Order: sequence, then C-alpha cells, then structure tokens
Amino acid sequence: MHVPDGFLSPQITVPAWGAAAPLWVWAVRRTFGASATEMLPAVGTLTALAFVVQSILIPVPGGTSAHLVGVAVLALVYGPLASFACESLVLLVQAVFFGAGGFTVLGVNALAMGLLGPGAAWLVHRALRRFSERAAAFAGAWVGLQISTLAISLVLGLQNRLSSHYLPVPFPVVATAMMLPSLTVVGVVEGLYTLFTLSLLRKAKLLAAP
Amino acid sequence: MSRRATACAAALTLAVGLAPHSARAHEILHEVERGRAVALRAYFTDGEPLAYAQAEVYSPADPKSPHWKGRTDRNGWLAFVPDVAGTWRVRVVDATGHGIDTGVEVALPAGLAGPAAPPDGGARSGGIATIGFVLRPVVGVALIAAVFGALYLYRRRRS
Repeated sequence: MHVPDGFLSPQITVPAWGAAAPLWVWAVRRTFGASATEMLPAVGTLTALAFVVQSILIPVPGGTSAHLVGVAVLALVYGPLASFACESLVLLVQAVFFGAGGFTVLGVNALAMGLLGPGAAWLVHRALRRFSERAAAFAGAWVGLQISTLAISLVLGLQNRLSSHYLPVPFPVVATAMMLPSLTVVGVVEGLYTLFTLSLLRKAKLLAAP
Repeated sequence: MSRRATACAAALTLAVGLAPHSARAHEILHEVERGRAVALRAYFTDGEPLAYAQAEVYSPADPKSPHWKGRTDRNGWLAFVPDVAGTWRVRVVDATGHGIDTGVEVALPAGLAGPAAPPDGGARSGGIATIGFVLRPVVGVALIAAVFGALYLYRRRRS
C-alpha cells in the first residue's frame, strides 16, 4: 500500500505534508505527552507489532502483494491520534532505513494509513460496540483498511490525471488492483489481527477506555 | 488477355525486379549481440517478483523522454541497451502503486559507441535495504523499541 518516492508530484505531496505537519504536532503531544507515560510500553509494543505485520506480504492475484496496516487496534484503544503518531513513526523508520515508502510521500502515507483508515475504524467501533464488542472491533478494522486502501488508490488516480508521467497507471486499474484484495482477503486478516491483539491486551489487563 | 496488356504486365514485372531496393525497404533485419544489455530485476522484500509491471528507462542524455518503455517479465526483469555512459533512471510501478525509481550507473568501454561492459554486476537497492526479509522486522522492532524506551525513561525521570 505504501506509495514510494518519485510516483507522486509536489502538487500532491506538498499539500499532504502541509496537512499532516500540524496534525503530527498535535498527535505527538497527545500520545507522548506527560500524561501518557504509563501507556508508552503498550503503545510501543503495538507500534512495533504494526511494523512487523506491515513487513509480511500477502501474495494476491495479479503478481503483486498486499500487507496489513495493523494500527486499527491503536485507534480503538488509544484514539485515532495515537494511531496517526505511531503509524507515522513506522513509516518514517521504513522510509529512512529500508527504502520502503518514502520521505516526500510521508504525508500522504501517514494520512491515509495512520489517520483516515484508523479514524474510520474508531468511528465504526464506537457506533457498533453496544451490540457486540468483538464484532464492532472486527468491523471497525475491516472498514478502516478499506478506507486506507481507497484513500491511497484515489491519490494514485488523481496523480495519473494530473500527470501520467509520474504514475502511468489509470485509476480504474489501480482501484481494482488495490480494492479487490483489500475487500476480500486483507481486510479479513486485518480484522482477525485486531481481535487477536485486543484479546492479548485484555488478558494483560492493559485495555484502557478509548 | 490482349497482347498489349500482357506486354504491360511483363514490363511492370521487369521494373519491379530491377528495382530490388524498393522491395527490400519493407524487409525487417535484425542482429543479435549478447552481453550488451543492462538487466534490472524488481521484487518485493519477500522475494516475489514485480511481474508484468509497467517500466520506463530514461537516458542521461535525454531525461525527459523515455529511452525504453515496456513491462517487466514474469520474473520481474527488464533489460535495456544503453548507448551513452552515465546514470540511467529506471522506474517500475505496478497497479497498486508499489514500485522503484532508481539510478543505474553505466560505464561504456573506450571506443565503443554502443553499450558495453555490463555495469557493476548485481548492484542492488543500497545500504541497509539489502538486509534479508527476516532481519528487516527485527531491526525495525529494535528501532521502535529504542524510541519508545528512551521516551519512557525520559518521562519517568521527569515525573
């Protein structure tokens, strides 16, 4: 899902950075502020787990691969700002040390994978948890992944319209290639992963109210 | 057929036969040279190839127009024949937006107008990105643990 450097023009990356920067400041203050000291070990563990699951590639038809995002659980437990801050850290580490994703596209990737998707997961969870906590968590994670995937595919489609020199693949092809695996396989795995980590947190008595 | 028509047909046939260059202009010729192309393989971190992905190669002599356009093969390979020395830009992207945009150094042996000695055999995405698929999550987890560990200790000291 990561968009690499060189495939989005400054027309997209600069506004994305402009939108993400103040949100980063806000998110870091809320997530890593003085009042959040005791939750740092749990948040750090979930962030590290998110890094690991994003490294595991799921082969999908068409000769490409997909991967989980793994930060929906952070949004459900600690709020969307926490998932945004932590996912941004994961993306930064990937970009700087492993050449995955990129620095110029950090704003786009962070907003799509760290805020929009997990934010949607948080909203769905809050709306459905009165019926069933587990079903709400699964549905939230599934929806969150679809939103993240859709956001990235829309950005890629927009880039193709603005300048196919950067990305020669048209939106219908991108959308189909990204959304089909997300809707069928990856979303389900993301939901199961979220349920699994929530049960671990529950057993460790680390679940805090969102 | 009348005598006149026959004579015209014969004359026409003779003319075509005596002017072979006009016929040969439609023939396609080819030459095969081995060892002149530069090959690059694109693949995911788990080794899966980026198969049939759109690819473009740009020459250092003309960075704006693609020198070569095509798709990677089933194993993620593409190949091009450089005609100038320098840093050639290779872009590969698949339908999900995964891809690479990298430079490939090409040095031509003296005296050769066309492409020449293969570049540094097996140059890969550089530095720490060459760490294997298994080590990458280990290193990443260690880095993130270091960040959170330092932050936790800092906060505990202040409180």
